[in-house]
Amino acid sequence: MSIPARLNEVLNELPAIQARPAGARRVRVDVAPQGLPALLELLKGRLGFIHLSAISCVDWIEDGQFELVYHVWSHEMKLLVSCHVRIAREPGVYVSVHDIHEPAGFFERDIHEMFGVHFDGAPSMEKFILTSWEGPPPMRKDFNTRKHVEETFEWVDYRPDWLKDIERKGGGIES
Amino acid sequence: MTDKPLKSHVRPPQDTMPGGAGQGCPAPDAQTRSIWRRIMDDFADHCRARSLFVLHYCTGCGAIELPPTITSRFDMERVGITPMVTPRQADILLITGYLSLKTLKRVILSYEQMQGPKYVLGFGSCTINGGMYWNSYATMKRLDQYIPTDLFIAGCMPRPEAVQQVLLKLIEDIDAGRANAWQDYYRNYDFYLGNQQRLFGAGWNTPTDVIGEARHYGYYGPGTEGEHTRLLAEGGGSAARLAHAEYPSTALTGRIKS
Ligand code: SF4
Repeated sequence: MSIPARLNEVLNELPAIQARPAGARRVRVDVAPQGLPALLELLKGRLGFIHLSAISCVDWIEDGQFELVYHVWSHEMKLLVSCHVRIAREPGVYVSVHDIHEPAGFFERDIHEMFGVHFDGAPSMEKFILTSWEGPPPMRKDFNTRKHVEETFEWVDYRPDWLKDIERKGGGIES
Repeated sequence: MTDKPLKSHVRPPQDTMPGGAGQGCPAPDAQTRSIWRRIMDDFADHCRARSLFVLHYCTGCGAIELPPTITSRFDMERVGITPMVTPRQADILLITGYLSLKTLKRVILSYEQMQGPKYVLGFGSCTINGGMYWNSYATMKRLDQYIPTDLFIAGCMPRPEAVQQVLLKLIEDIDAGRANAWQDYYRNYDFYLGNQQRLFGAGWNTPTDVIGEARHYGYYGPGTEGEHTRLLAEGGGSAARLAHAEYPSTALTGRIKS
């Protein structure tokens, strides 16, 4: 599949954009952080990409970057465009696009809670889904889940006394 | 955890029950636990085992195995087991899989609302050791640390045959007066509350006055109160009173403060 001409036309109006087909009905666009709001605006206004289905975040800890992916769908073109931007992991601040796509506020708040990315101008950066959670944003790669689990929970006793008794008598669960 | 009496009617004599008298509820008198009483209790256990309402707490993937268990393919109603929609009318709380900490709070609230005798079944590996979520920050690992669990069904996910097996085993246990894990919640409330506080913070509280209930039913034991239940008192009164401030009038139906 190639990129539809109408989409290409719009993309060519913006600087520093790379686009490539990423499967049937799917186009991947890489854009510089300052170019994303304009891209979303153009896609929405000109080609009917009115549906923001999700914003996802990837923690590229080795590169010192967060990758944000904005998935927008056009009912008119029946096409999904994924817009990728990379921002610096520190301080991890980006701009909210909730003025273009209102549901963005929801995703941004979620990403803030899970990754600690701050979105300037977002309607709310309050706590969201995690309750009783005082720790760091848990989806960051530098959060040691295993250590946290070991400190917080107790493991099942896999070799309880009654099993040892049985083993002494020649039984047990190991072959 | 503790030595559990074999029969539910074996309770400590009245004078060892703090608060047993003068609570407005006639505590069973040792004399009246006569042969007649014991026969009645055995009879009650026998009947109870044949009519059980299950509250399916479908938190995990395994819930998909319950429709065939209940409906015509396996038909648990043959042995007197049928689904119930509310905790207050249910005998069995069936937890089908992983519990996030947020859900665990709701499970504890539901459990405390159930009337005794009540039974908890842990369904799937997730309730036993965390299952495939063993290293998730958000899910609990062992159900029996937070509420007393009668039986577990191992597997990820267990088939309806396994559910059936465990329900039959539960029936057998109830009939024989062995399914008494629920009493442990009263006798060792401090242990369970301590584990709950470890996850939810020292301010964790529920609307049920478990200690009061323990006295009322005569299951008050040395483990009922301790360092963790003291935190409840430090919060400004009994669990019930404190909770009522937090959960106004429609305590259990209203929005739960998380
Ligand atoms: S034990 Fe398996 S099937 Fe059950 S909730 Fe856990 S992951 Fe899902």
